[in-house]
Amino acid sequence: MRARAATLVRSSWIQLLDRLSITERLVLLLIPPAIGGAVVTILAAALVGPAFVDFLAANLPLVRFFVAVVAILLLTVPTAFVIIYMELKVIARMNLRVGPNRIGPWGSGMSVVHGLKVLLKEDFAPTGADLPVFTLAPVVTFLASAMTLLVIPFAPGLFGQDLNIGLLFFFAMGGLTVLGLLMAGWASFNKYSLLGGLRSAAQMVSYEIPLTLSAVGIILLTGTMSLNQTVLAQSGSALDWFVFKQPLAFLIFFIAATAEANRTPFDMTEADSEIVAGFATEYSGMRFGFFFFAEYVNVFIVSALTVTLFFGGWTAPFDWPWPVSLDPIDAWAAGPAWIALGLGAAILGADVLAVVIRLFGGRAWSIPAAFGLGFLVSGAALTALLLGACFIAFDWFAGIVWFMAKAYAFVFVFVWLRATLPRVRIDQLMGFAWKWLLPAALLNLFITAAAVILLDR
Amino acid sequence: MPRRADRTRQPGPAEALPAAGPRPSLDDPRVMLDRQAGALFEEIPPYPARTEREAEFYTPTEGELFLNIGPHHPATHGVMRLVVKLSGERVVDVDPVLGYLHRGVEKICENSDYYHVIDQVDPLEYVSSLFQEWAAVLAFEKLMEVEVPQRAEYIRVLSAELLRVQSHTLYMGFLALDLGGLTPILYSFIERDEIVEMLAALTGARMLFNYFRVGGVNGDLNHEFMSRLGDWMSRAGKQAEANAALLNENEIFVRRMRGVGVLDRATALGYGVTGGNLRASGVPFDLRRVHPYSVYPQLDFNVPTRQEGDSLARYLIRVDEIRESIRIIDQCLHQMPDGPIMAPRLPRLLRPKPGRAWGAVEGPRGMLGVYAVSDGTDQPFRFRIHDPSFLNLEVVPHLLPGNLLADTMAIVASLDPVMGGIDK
Amino acid sequence: MDRALKSRLEAQLGSVIRGAVRQRGDQTEIRIAPADLPEVLRTVHESIDMRFEVLADLAGVDTGDTMQVVLHLWGERSSDWLRIIVEGLPREKPRCPSVTFLWPGAEWLEREAYDMFGIVFDGNRDLRRIFMPPDYQSFPLRKDFYLPDDASRSPGMGVRPVEKPHAPAVAEPDPAAAIRRSPAS
Repeated sequence: MRARAATLVRSSWIQLLDRLSITERLVLLLIPPAIGGAVVTILAAALVGPAFVDFLAANLPLVRFFVAVVAILLLTVPTAFVIIYMELKVIARMNLRVGPNRIGPWGSGMSVVHGLKVLLKEDFAPTGADLPVFTLAPVVTFLASAMTLLVIPFAPGLFGQDLNIGLLFFFAMGGLTVLGLLMAGWASFNKYSLLGGLRSAAQMVSYEIPLTLSAVGIILLTGTMSLNQTVLAQSGSALDWFVFKQPLAFLIFFIAATAEANRTPFDMTEADSEIVAGFATEYSGMRFGFFFFAEYVNVFIVSALTVTLFFGGWTAPFDWPWPVSLDPIDAWAAGPAWIALGLGAAILGADVLAVVIRLFGGRAWSIPAAFGLGFLVSGAALTALLLGACFIAFDWFAGIVWFMAKAYAFVFVFVWLRATLPRVRIDQLMGFAWKWLLPAALLNLFITAAAVILLDR
Repeated sequence: MPRRADRTRQPGPAEALPAAGPRPSLDDPRVMLDRQAGALFEEIPPYPARTEREAEFYTPTEGELFLNIGPHHPATHGVMRLVVKLSGERVVDVDPVLGYLHRGVEKICENSDYYHVIDQVDPLEYVSSLFQEWAAVLAFEKLMEVEVPQRAEYIRVLSAELLRVQSHTLYMGFLALDLGGLTPILYSFIERDEIVEMLAALTGARMLFNYFRVGGVNGDLNHEFMSRLGDWMSRAGKQAEANAALLNENEIFVRRMRGVGVLDRATALGYGVTGGNLRASGVPFDLRRVHPYSVYPQLDFNVPTRQEGDSLARYLIRVDEIRESIRIIDQCLHQMPDGPIMAPRLPRLLRPKPGRAWGAVEGPRGMLGVYAVSDGTDQPFRFRIHDPSFLNLEVVPHLLPGNLLADTMAIVASLDPVMGGIDK
Repeated sequence: MDRALKSRLEAQLGSVIRGAVRQRGDQTEIRIAPADLPEVLRTVHESIDMRFEVLADLAGVDTGDTMQVVLHLWGERSSDWLRIIVEGLPREKPRCPSVTFLWPGAEWLEREAYDMFGIVFDGNRDLRRIFMPPDYQSFPLRKDFYLPDDASRSPGMGVRPVEKPHAPAVAEPDPAAAIRRSPAS
């Protein structure tokens, strides 16, 4: 009897579902979990909440670490998107082409489309591939690149961890990417991949040494490996930046960093006119997406490190006076008032501009269109004003802006190199590293050490 | 409509050589079969070696691996397969495998009348199709003893030299692309687009022109062509110099090409290499000078020759040739006579008397020759095309061993092969 | 038209040239038997007054009755192209000596002639097919080439309907008249 009743109940539910449209079905299916989730959350917050908050307050460093890791992982993907878009557009312009201009304003949606595309592709592995290694390789490469962001200071007080071996940590993590590439090359069961992986191993090992040696000069100057301290040592004006004290180191570092990031002219590992895609030949879908993102994140982090070590990190090029130092809490408390004020100003500005546009534009502009344009323009102007205010008021905001501007300038240089230069052959590449960069880095080291000793005395 | 030559017969007699045998046994040492992996590897090649050279090549020694730079590849200038025997990164031997683009043009031309042949012969070296037309038309004119009027000759030279400039510019772009530079190819395509639009105004088509005819050309110069040509000529020299400087002054590019793939004079002559590749090895063999045809005796131009024979020399020769071609175009424009553009009193249906004729022109890649045999009907009895890239590619197994894998692309690209012509 | 070349050829190779040395336009043509090819080529390549050092082309020709191998040479001493027609190769088993001893580049040209006609070149180290797949069973440029039947003899057994074996479209034509012959070639 019970079973029959259950069947009756289930079948009537199914009949009900059948009669609904898809949207209605979704709504019906999602409401119970939503209500249940809300109830559970409220209960948990009420019962466990205070204890949890106390725990967090007691272990603030742990919370900080956790938040930093999440923030960094969240930072990498938009960064990669921006750099991909930059690469497409900038290289196109250098090729006298236009680049993507259909998806989104000025083609900016192209990165997102690429990201979605790699998510939607079929995920397969070639026959004979070593599956655990094959799957882990892109993960290792991506994580190795992303973990280095933990030590880079983006703004005063805004860094993941202020490790006092920050630079060493950076190079150690950066070196792990070789492991990922080798894994990919070997596990793909493909001669092209093998060649690519071996080339990458040789190249990255060769260029690690000049890279680290050129950074040792900085360590001699600052006396610490902490990147935060390095940036603080360059605060003041642009003339305090280490690029003027270590120009040779900067050059060596930049060239070695190009090789570390596998960028043209040192992109033998993915030379797509010889070994198809090198180590990534057999990868498709999200696995390839990871390699892709890892490469662009790598570009960003070497730019970030160049900026941190040689160009003053988040410091401004000239002594920046901080006229107003708003206590953040006060600003948030006045939040609603600010929002109302902002909207009112925007609408007022829209009115004025609409009148102006109608006067000068004439019949071509209908009233709604003029209003809309006026609103956009005034809104943009107000946002710019707001951002400017933040820039002046909050030193962390200004720090981020300077840091990103400088880092992206170097990213632009990397992209520029890719558009312009052909590839260096593998033996020329390694010959250059061992015969030219390494002695130059040692020379720089000796000169720096001598200068430090003599000037201190 | 069935033609007389569509004679399909019962199968011919048994072949002269034995056919490919049964699959070799697993104990055959030439078969590379990984017993642990089971059927994961297929032996290379999957049949026993047919010739001495094949056996020698496909027997790897310790530490050698075969890499298939396969027909689907970003940089093989078309569908060509290079089976490369590598020892680490160093190339030990190369076996080019052709035929992926074989379209049976010679057989089709045996079933086409003499006008259709010109159409069929265009897509051979699709990059510079007027030269194939010219060779065919030259052979046919020798067969039929037709005198081509001077104006038509000048127009032929003009359009052909324009196409030579375009072909060399594209060559530079593809060479840079194979070495990793993404930008010069786009600049080359800008140049090519200008020239090809010009020729479209003259001939009606941008790529496969179908313009030359037995006895002349299809259409006279028109206003649009002349105005585009004038525009182009006013900046052609400087643009060519700028494009060449993009690569010449690039240290990485020069380093990768200098001393790579040195082809010495004796080998080049022995292999029948012609064109810029031969002139880069020190042999001043240019058909326009040593066996002149058309109005080249009346034009003043140099034949650039270099002695080094490496990839850089082959590249620089073509840069020089662009300059020379611009000079020739200039002289053609000044010397262009008035007159008809087709030989008078040619029959509508060309039916040459039985005989044989060979005509050869100097194309951008070398000597393009056509051997035509006529049997008195309106279709050629045998239409043989000799393509320069065919023999240019044959030196690759001679040039490649000892170089690195990365040089493969530099060498093959510097020889400028076009697979359409090689595979016919 | 190089008269001097004609007289030189007749003087040095008169015994092996079949028929007369024909000249037309800028081409000089001689016909020889296959066995004489190496000797003729050496003479023409090395003799002081006739240095034909450039091999322009090597082609096969199927005349319907016999096969021919046609070589075109160019030399600095003469303003003519020299065409050497090696004629009389039987259609069933055409054999010809290879010219790779003088011009290594002829290897691929001979491969092509083998692939298209079935002409076997003695002395070519690498006589295998160059354009057609390695297991192809027939020789395309021969005059008696029959396409649908040929596809059936390839291991792929024809993939598309046009490749599957079927009766010829034209009902049994007359065998003798069918093979297109070149008159007096």
